[in-house]
Amino acid sequence: MAYPYVSDREVRLLSRSFGDPKGRRLDTYVERGGYQALTEAFGMGPDAVIDEVKASGLRGRGGAGFPAGVKWSFMPKEPTRPHYLLCNADESEPGTFKDRELIRWDPHQLIEGVLIAAYAVRAKQAYIYCRGEFFETTQVLAKALEDAYAGGYVGKDILGSGVDIDITVHLGGGAYICGEETALMNSLEGRRGQPRVKPPFPAAVGAFGMPTTVNNVETLSAVPHIVVNGGAWYRQWGTEKSTGTKLFCVSGHVNKPGNYELPLGFPLMDLIEDVCGGMKNGKALKAVIPGGSSVPILTAAECKGVNLDYESVQAAGSMLGCASVIIMDEDTHIVKQVRRMVDFYAHESCGQCTPCREGTAWLAKVLRRIEDGMGAEEDLDTLLGMSRQMTGTTICVLSDSAAAPVVSSIQKFKDEYLALIRRGERAGVA
Amino acid sequence: MSGVPFKNPGWAGNTGEFDLTEAQVRGDDFVGERPRAGGHPSGASTYPYMLAEKHPDAKLFEGDYQTRFEKILTRYPNKQGALLPTLGLAQEVRGHVSPETMDEVAGLLGLSPAYVRGVATFYTMYNKRPVGRHLVQVCTNVSCNLCGGDEVMEAFVRYTDTEPGETSEDGEFTVIEAECLAGCGFPTCVQINSRYYENVTPADVPGIIEHLKAERAGSAG
Ligand SMILES: Cc1cc2nc3c(=O)[nH]c(=O)nc-3n(C[C@H](O)[C@H](O)[C@H](O)COP(=O)(O)O)c2cc1C
Ligand code: SF4
Ligand code: FES
Repeated sequence: MAYPYVSDREVRLLSRSFGDPKGRRLDTYVERGGYQALTEAFGMGPDAVIDEVKASGLRGRGGAGFPAGVKWSFMPKEPTRPHYLLCNADESEPGTFKDRELIRWDPHQLIEGVLIAAYAVRAKQAYIYCRGEFFETTQVLAKALEDAYAGGYVGKDILGSGVDIDITVHLGGGAYICGEETALMNSLEGRRGQPRVKPPFPAAVGAFGMPTTVNNVETLSAVPHIVVNGGAWYRQWGTEKSTGTKLFCVSGHVNKPGNYELPLGFPLMDLIEDVCGGMKNGKALKAVIPGGSSVPILTAAECKGVNLDYESVQAAGSMLGCASVIIMDEDTHIVKQVRRMVDFYAHESCGQCTPCREGTAWLAKVLRRIEDGMGAEEDLDTLLGMSRQMTGTTICVLSDSAAAPVVSSIQKFKDEYLALIRRGERAGVA
Repeated sequence: MSGVPFKNPGWAGNTGEFDLTEAQVRGDDFVGERPRAGGHPSGASTYPYMLAEKHPDAKLFEGDYQTRFEKILTRYPNKQGALLPTLGLAQEVRGHVSPETMDEVAGLLGLSPAYVRGVATFYTMYNKRPVGRHLVQVCTNVSCNLCGGDEVMEAFVRYTDTEPGETSEDGEFTVIEAECLAGCGFPTCVQINSRYYENVTPADVPGIIEHLKAERAGSAG
């Protein structure tokens, strides 16, 4: 089975069923050892499950990289009110395309992860919040969930354990900001998807005002493997602080774009040159965005020697984010691509913070002006000044995310901005 | 991919050595026919928002749709929680969510009309006005853009003979630019009604349009 592309350097744990249509079926999943982790978790008790996930070092795969077990341990141990587990399947960060694959190729892996997490945080109701565009994907999930209910894996008295957990698939209405965890909770409650001021944190006051844990699809899909094999086993891959495997979503100018599951700490240049078959049409590499559109751009020179774990990417001046690696070749029009990303943030700003609402719109406008050859050199200072005002001043980090590519591209590709500005000035004089 | 654009439309990776059928890739073979009344309540809100056939004057809700609406209500601690799925259901029936539809949904959930309008207008997937039988959403965000997303967008506009956001004269197509659809490794990613088409190039566009028209002729005939 050659799912669009595979590489022999992969470690396919979460992605073992990618490209295998049988993998969606309950019987196949069980044959392959599925739902054993659930039984095991019930035997361990919630606190031991949390400890095992802590021991694995598993960090959240939704972007921020917060340790999953630690997050779970914030939830009250003696529930006096309903608890909720929310699975974040809103996947909309440009460059990211792993959660859809995890759901549609291996829905039971996610369902089992959701059940174990819900059990650990003492939630009887879990929601899988999927972005509304995922119609086909959620059909697969809904069918798998229906089978899991029929098999006694979900619902009342699961497998005779006395544990009750319900799972509901919820569809969003098309808004990137709903991926932010507090916006997600508002949206689930039938409100506008606007982020909330923290504190209070979700573990205290979350969805419907109740203690809530939010985790990404990939985080939860890793959980059954950890529970069955142990935290130490998971640590055989990755680095000390970035443990385990990670799905790398590679897009842009490589010969074989796609999802590759690799140990964290994998060398970036090996990913491009070996795993992804090198640059398309033999072009030279110009730049890489290593973690989705919200993180700073790296130049080709900066990419040398970078390993893809949270710490190394940060040391190189960017962030691993959700490991959405966007590859740009020598012909890439950097200003245009930055403008396109900023247009996105301007469109997706929820509008409640002035620096974000106004700032994203202005950045987009000024960038467009430069792209169209109508810019002036002072515009670059304007962009940098606005970006500064947009960083660290708002309720959520969407605003910072919009500023990041602007600042890093001006710092690193100033010549391209200047060339557009000069060409425009010359054209104006002629 | 050129030459056999419809061997595997929607195939996530028409560029690899891959010999699955379209139904296997999309999961249609696994899902089968999903009952309109919603099946198990856990998945009752996962239905297509966008169907080609739209009934703008249909009642909210009756028959199977009423059953599904009731199932959705059971999954939330209060009626407000069911607002997004209910708007989705209304759009599935009527094709768009007009201010009047928002008011009716408010009535069904015991919410104020102003509140529901405020929420519904926040979200882009609820069409505020009627759209064509096929709503074509072309991702032009960065990963697709690097690989020609703008050209795919232009091609759809040209071959449907319309303007972005407008509906073609025959009522068949509305083409809009979309943000990232989470198919970035398979550029350009296009969503048409409820389906994804991946690895779309400008050369594929006329074929896709013919395919959609033929589907209609097939289903009508
Ligand atoms: C603007 C914005 C958008 C986000 N979008 C997503 C998303 O689509 N999916 C996701 O899992 N996390 C997203 N996050 C991160 C979530 O807020 C949250 O940290 C995450 O879901 C927690 O899960 P994890 O700990 O398992 O990573 C987003 C954050 C921000 C600020
Ligand atoms: S930073 Fe932007 S998106 Fe985030 S809460 Fe403020 S206005 Fe909304
Ligand atoms: S950028 Fe086009 S689908 Fe993500």
